[in-house]
Amino acid sequence: MEKLLYRDSRNYVPIDVTKGIDHLTGETVMADKEAPKGYEVMPKCKNCANFKADGEQMGVCEGSMSEPKFFAYPDMVAITCDMYKEVK
Amino acid sequence: MAKKLKEVLSDAGISMDLQSGGKAPDQLTDREIKREPHPRVKKLKDIFMDTLSSANNEFTYWYTREYMQHDCEIPVVRRAKALKSAFAHLTPTFYPGELLVMHKASYFRGSFPMPWLSEGFYMAHEDEFYQEALKRGSASVDEHSKFGSGGGNVTKSFGKVVSIAGKFGMRQEEIPALLKLAKMWYGKSVDDLGNKYEKMVPEYKTKEQIMRSIICMFDSGFTLPQGREVINYYYPLEYGFDGIIKMANEMKAKVAGKADGDGMVGMNRLYNYEAVIFMIEGMQKWINNYAKEARRLESITKDAKQKAEYKGIAERLEWIEHNPPRTFIEAFQMIETLHLGVLNEDAISGMSPGRIGQILYPYFEQDIEAGRLTEDEALELLELDRVVKTSIDCFASTGVVGGVLSGNTFNTLSVGGLDKFGQSAVNRLEYLILEAAANNAMPQSTIALLYDEKLPEDFLILAMEVIKSGAGYPAFMNTPVAQEFLMKQYGAEGMTLEDVRSWAIGGCLETSACVWKTLHLNGKEYDIPGGAGQPTSVGVHFIAMPKVLELVLFNGVDPRTKEKVYEAHNRKLETYDEVWDQFKLYWQKTCEVLAWTNNIQHDIWRKNNMAVLNSLLKPDCLDNGHLINELGYRFNGTFNVESAGTITLVNSMAALKKIVYDDKEVTLEEMKAAIVDNFGFKDAREVNSFSLADQERKDSDSGKWEKLHFKVLQAPKYGNDDKYADQILLDWENFFCEDATHYESLYGLKMYPCQISVSTHGAMGSATLATADGRLSGTTYADASMSAFPGTDRNGPYALLNSASIWDHSKSQNSQLNIKIHPTAIKGIEGSKKLLDLTRAYMRKGGFHIQYNIVDSKMLKDAQEHPENYRDLMVRVAGFTQYWVEIGKSVQDELIARTEYEGV
Repeated sequence: MEKLLYRDSRNYVPIDVTKGIDHLTGETVMADKEAPKGYEVMPKCKNCANFKADGEQMGVCEGSMSEPKFFAYPDMVAITCDMYKEVK
Repeated sequence: MAKKLKEVLSDAGISMDLQSGGKAPDQLTDREIKREPHPRVKKLKDIFMDTLSSANNEFTYWYTREYMQHDCEIPVVRRAKALKSAFAHLTPTFYPGELLVMHKASYFRGSFPMPWLSEGFYMAHEDEFYQEALKRGSASVDEHSKFGSGGGNVTKSFGKVVSIAGKFGMRQEEIPALLKLAKMWYGKSVDDLGNKYEKMVPEYKTKEQIMRSIICMFDSGFTLPQGREVINYYYPLEYGFDGIIKMANEMKAKVAGKADGDGMVGMNRLYNYEAVIFMIEGMQKWINNYAKEARRLESITKDAKQKAEYKGIAERLEWIEHNPPRTFIEAFQMIETLHLGVLNEDAISGMSPGRIGQILYPYFEQDIEAGRLTEDEALELLELDRVVKTSIDCFASTGVVGGVLSGNTFNTLSVGGLDKFGQSAVNRLEYLILEAAANNAMPQSTIALLYDEKLPEDFLILAMEVIKSGAGYPAFMNTPVAQEFLMKQYGAEGMTLEDVRSWAIGGCLETSACVWKTLHLNGKEYDIPGGAGQPTSVGVHFIAMPKVLELVLFNGVDPRTKEKVYEAHNRKLETYDEVWDQFKLYWQKTCEVLAWTNNIQHDIWRKNNMAVLNSLLKPDCLDNGHLINELGYRFNGTFNVESAGTITLVNSMAALKKIVYDDKEVTLEEMKAAIVDNFGFKDAREVNSFSLADQERKDSDSGKWEKLHFKVLQAPKYGNDDKYADQILLDWENFFCEDATHYESLYGLKMYPCQISVSTHGAMGSATLATADGRLSGTTYADASMSAFPGTDRNGPYALLNSASIWDHSKSQNSQLNIKIHPTAIKGIEGSKKLLDLTRAYMRKGGFHIQYNIVDSKMLKDAQEHPENYRDLMVRVAGFTQYWVEIGKSVQDELIARTEYEGV
């Protein structure tokens, strides 16, 4: 299983581009540090079934209503996206 | 090593001692007043102190995605749908200990790009878009602007973080998306469309040259289209969001298909109300997402106190998502949400909350009476508000955010003033606002005290104590002067004496039009003030007066760039009057061209990018169905002409008059040659100091200009109650204040004069050769509009006040006077009284604005050498307070150099 970084974890809230707070411990942690085992995965486009990768940092959102489909990028947080479908 | 100017002058027996009225103690003196905020606030403040300005694409992405889907929709509805989608998709973020919640973006100090305004500046310098921006002048000023290297500014890329515009950090994972989004707006942004049409102004080439020479620093239509105004929170406080939607639906039914006598825009009311509904729905979804996240955190948090706080937050958000607030904390959360919402709607600097002590007073009064709130709890919330406001960043280019604003976003709060009936409006909550400002000294909200003789003495003394904390606030603004100005400008739009009394400061010190509205709370009525005018950050921006004089002396050609800016005047300039006359002609040409081109940019903005949220909040948009772009506001004559470098121009004209024309000691040609040769000194950038005293002679200098330089430095200077120089200021003000009214805004209303410098005196000085007053190439201008040039006010503060009040300040939207005082000069309660006497004296003379830096210059020098020891040092720059480490070097040097008063 791929390691989970804090910045990809639902238990992390970013303070800035480098660091954030671990909501479960209250500690300030670095964004790119590995999160403890069992931490929840953050909904992001890269974890969504509607995301079709097109290169390393770009892709298409299949849930998009427009034609052609609107682009998406893997790192975008999708907590508020109604079309988010987690890849199982 | 080459000698510095202060050493050269010292050798000649001339002191450049910048202390006045005594001598500062040898040892470094700290500020007298030092307080601490509540522990909860301290923890959040500590997070802020270690936070980088961070940006992401979330809002940008969803706005663009939605906007691009609706290319056949009515523009205002299309924009509202895009805004709704963007707000609805913002990721909610909470930090432990917060009570006033919600953030601009999903970082503590977050922001995001708005490529629909301008997409060029965050492209790589090699990119063709950036090169185009450079060509049209909109990127030139970036080269003369620098952010401070410390604090939260991300001035360089590192690790996985990319620096944008020298301030904002963005994760490298986001960069490809940013570039893709930006390119989607190419040819469609306000910047690009505006440029396409402004080129049709016959004098467009002159405008391009004006921008490239940095005679003007920026266009506003695509940089900061709104701001320096007072927001209005009334409608959501009175009716709640559901109430506004109900009102808009009722009005839709009433106006659908009807022009009602207005064949131009009468029909638009239907679409505007439709846009209002989309906008409010977006706000509600944004609040709802935060409420849901608070519930989630409540469910996973083990700490009982924090868990209860998340519950309370969720309940408040769930309530205000639909209803008018019932309590102080609900009302505070509501205005916080609205404030951040408006700042997300557009790139804005200077969205001022206005008189929040009077707006929130009804809730405060009733909660205190009912025992639901203690004064200490209110104080803690007011301290927390300062963390929220200081965390607000505005994403714009280096030249604008760094060069003009020093990173500040000017959420100025006003206290004092008069009530609807002409009596003091000060209330108990406003005392707490001042206490909170001292306890939690952070740059924002900076505070404007609307001075009037009727204000209570103990309130004014408390204000002096806050000033002594070194926070730089409150600044004092003169109510009678402001009222007179407002009546002159807005009388024709129906402003009444009652309206005038509701005024407040928008931005750093812009007199802004407001009105009273009646709030109902538990069967009781309260008149609360709020903004009712358009932005005042619009019109003709910051014209570098010393640079215009330079162009007069050099027949329309910029000696720095060697490019022709204006048509050659070919006059011999044989008299002082001839120089003045030509200066005015070039000034008028500059204003004319910039007014026309900026009108086009703002017209594009109002057609495609109009404010919906900010509009619906302000009287009388909801009543008349017209938004800002259709003159829906109560007062719309807010465009202005902004001057910069007033005192450097006055001193330069005084030196020319004295040395060249009256005493005929040198010819004008010799003076020009000395200016080109920088009086034998190196350029400031070569020396890497922007203070006059630190400038160094060229190694090759023969001393040819030494005598002349001494003479011009000793020519009459403004700030000494010397009529020779002060009369020139009076002549200028009489011309400028009247001339500004000759330019017309896109709304068909007359403009007015505005006299603030913000940080332009640094960047503009950087692009200006030596001036005839002895200032050297690349050094800063005198700051503000009424401040003396550093070290030239030698007759004490009262002489400076006499010079500054020689003209009628009510003819202008503002004026600005900054004074630096050593902490020991105003020690103790007697010191506070002396400071109040000084302030009162200026107000009684008719001065509009005065503010103080209470600081030992030695501390500033030490902070420049050891910034790591001064993360929290704050200084007053020009109408705003900022962290020392976040200010660019040129303005730091100027702050160090300002005359330090050792006694008042």
